[in-house]
Amino acid sequence: MSPELVAVLRSETPAAPDALRERVAAVTTATPPAPRRFTARRVLAFAAPVVAALSLAAAVAVGLNTAVSPGPGGESAAKVAPPAAQDVGAREAPGLTFGPIDEAAPESSRRSAAPAPGAGRAQDYRATLTLLVDGTGELSTTTQKALRTARRLGGYVVAVSYSSPEPGEGTAAVRLRIPVSRVQAAIVEFSGLGRILAQDTRISDLQQGLDELTREIRRLERRAATLKGEERARLLAQIARLRSQRAQVNRQAAFATVNLDLTTHEPKEPAAAPGRLERALDDAVGILLAELAIAAYALIVASPLLILLAAGLLGNRAYRRHADQRLLERA
Amino acid sequence: MRCMRPVRHSLADAAERHLDDVYRYVLYLTRDPQAAEDLTAETFERAVRLWHRFDPARGSERTWLCQIARTAALDHLRAEERRRRREERYASLAERASEPDAESLSPWLRQALASLSAADREVIALRIILDLDPADAGRVLGISPSACTTRLSRALQRLEEKVGSQRVA
Repeated sequence: MSPELVAVLRSETPAAPDALRERVAAVTTATPPAPRRFTARRVLAFAAPVVAALSLAAAVAVGLNTAVSPGPGGESAAKVAPPAAQDVGAREAPGLTFGPIDEAAPESSRRSAAPAPGAGRAQDYRATLTLLVDGTGELSTTTQKALRTARRLGGYVVAVSYSSPEPGEGTAAVRLRIPVSRVQAAIVEFSGLGRILAQDTRISDLQQGLDELTREIRRLERRAATLKGEERARLLAQIARLRSQRAQVNRQAAFATVNLDLTTHEPKEPAAAPGRLERALDDAVGILLAELAIAAYALIVASPLLILLAAGLLGNRAYRRHADQRLLERA
Repeated sequence: MRCMRPVRHSLADAAERHLDDVYRYVLYLTRDPQAAEDLTAETFERAVRLWHRFDPARGSERTWLCQIARTAALDHLRAEERRRRREERYASLAERASEPDAESLSPWLRQALASLSAADREVIALRIILDLDPADAGRVLGISPSACTTRLSRALQRLEEKVGSQRVA
């Protein structure tokens, strides 16, 4: 760079004519037009925090709402405790089910927790008892005790399954048939064989079906008495079938089915039910995560278009810059 | 350390202080005093409309005005080029009506500058006449400071060659 040339260039700087000066002064002293109130940038700057705040508010509102309403494992969930011995037959219920026992109930009440079969009514009585025993040695002893108890009470063994895959650990599943009249005593004895982990008793009423079968047999018998020949023989055969069916139902009602599951596995402590605040936070975080997932999904779907748009804008800008430079080089 | 925010003057003050700079820049770009006057006036008209968007933290008033002036000048040059093509198409090759500012420039310098491209004259105007630093000049031109310095060096080299040949002639 020649200092002399630079000095010449700087010394010969043209000044703006007075007419232009007056013209510009008139323009710049005039009141500028009011800027647009709703520019895209302002709308975006306002909309972004508003959308974020609305998302957060929705998450908190949903979280609080679900925390107030009772959850499946919440504090207000009803605990179903099996009732004490009761006359189920007196209710004339077609079927009753008693779920797992209340772990918090005292041992004495847990021993007598199974409902008694209804006296004088035919019922299908099924009970399942899960017991915890200490080690495989006790598992074997307890299994044998259960079998002996069943036989002593006049029952019999339907199936036994004993498994010990690892040393010190094992399970046994015993299916027993116990006379209904002594099933209550059997369950009390079984519950003393180990720590009760779960108990499930189901009682279905069979009496109604039995009564209908008896009525039908009597009706057919009266009719058969008035008939002769093949027709009578056919009715007698039908009566015999119905009697067989009734005997089968009676046998079913005479014995209760008791499933005894013995295990050496200590059940894991169930996780403590979360509190209201914890549930509200969990739900709010869940909603926020869902919103973020939706936003991410939308972004992923729109990203090719956004990339194309950005590439187009950048390309257009580069092209315009290049075109401007060429124009200046030509001019 | 406390950061001082640049002071923002009124546009009338800015116009009074930088009118000559804008005019010189546009005159160097167009080499047409009449067009330079019109473009300078148009620059300030645009500035009045855009003044609320001017941010002193992002550049000086002079740089901002030069950017507006450049956009106006490029629009003018594009229009001029279209007009020239149209005239060439109809075989009416009219001489350019404009003449360089004969009063403020030496004839040899005027001829030397006329032989340069507008791109060369532009960088000379910004860096030498307006005395902008490479960063500000680069901001006006849309290039990096180092690219601006390189462009100035080449432009001055070409101008020196032209001036030398003019003087010899």
